[in-house]
Amino acid sequence: MTQEKKITVKKPAYLQNDKLADEIREIMKSKDKLFFNVMGSIGAGKTFLLERIAEKLTPHYRIFVINGDVATTIDADRIASKGATTVQINTGGGCHLNAKLIQNELDKINIDDYDIFFTENVGNLICPSAWDVGAQLDIVVVSITEGEYVIKKHPIIFKGAQIAVINKCDLDGLGFNSDTLVEDAKKIKSDMKVICTSAKQITGIDELIAALGIKI
Amino acid sequence: MHEYSLASAIINQVKQVAREHNATKVNKITVSADPYEMVIPELLQDAFNIITSELELFEGTQLELLRLPAEIICLDCDYKGKPSEEGDKEFAYNFKCPKCDSRDTHLNIRHLTIETVDLEIPE
Repeated sequence: MTQEKKITVKKPAYLQNDKLADEIREIMKSKDKLFFNVMGSIGAGKTFLLERIAEKLTPHYRIFVINGDVATTIDADRIASKGATTVQINTGGGCHLNAKLIQNELDKINIDDYDIFFTENVGNLICPSAWDVGAQLDIVVVSITEGEYVIKKHPIIFKGAQIAVINKCDLDGLGFNSDTLVEDAKKIKSDMKVICTSAKQITGIDELIAALGIKI
Repeated sequence: MHEYSLASAIINQVKQVAREHNATKVNKITVSADPYEMVIPELLQDAFNIITSELELFEGTQLELLRLPAEIICLDCDYKGKPSEEGDKEFAYNFKCPKCDSRDTHLNIRHLTIETVDLEIPE
């Protein structure tokens, strides 16, 4: 004989991920490390920006980058060529990184061997927003070639981020316009830091590094 | 697409609850989410069915998703609650505060939560 019983759970579905993410954040904080989560669409220029950041930072800091992609080690190889230590996670079909994937990679290294950590999340503006990876700041990169409505159409990921990077600003005026994106990023929340960059022309990179709280 | 990860997360937690209560079957799982949680109910159900297809504990389990009403937090006056009925026409998800009319508001995001589970427990 069995009986039916209703059990009140009241726990977030993300509980295990969020707990692990908090642990990662705590470890990084206690060791005085910085950890940033870089998100954005495919082709927004996340890798190129991280290459430029690595060029600027590696003479002063030991950088560790965790790249997430469905396949290949192209991104990790590119950033490694600029002096950072990188690791590529191939998610297969997975559309986002999560705290467990980050923890797995951190377990393989000695955190004390590095000063600043980055993720380059899987390229899309939807799934990564829901999965905390344990970073101290979330950064969303959009490029002006993605169209002027890209921020309006993906409000959730921007609501959760602290820094919006508008990339490929070297194309401003050449059939593309950064004004609407800057305006929308500020509109989405008043305390959003909005930075226009061109990874190609190396503009805005110093400003972005300063916004991350990194001194060179 | 991340519904598969969400379904796995739900199943793992419910398995643990079932174990704690020595349950032989999970009859129903009720989860809740606010309107901004990016979850497509049909995809969540499909993912749930695929993952549990060979798990005896979840045979015939009903998965119910409750949508919670929208809530905002006003950054200007700290109001927390229902947004103004004017909605977010001006800018997606930038709702108007009914108290001070500001549109500098955040969503009070309440992520997917496991509310209750109905378990079959041996007497």
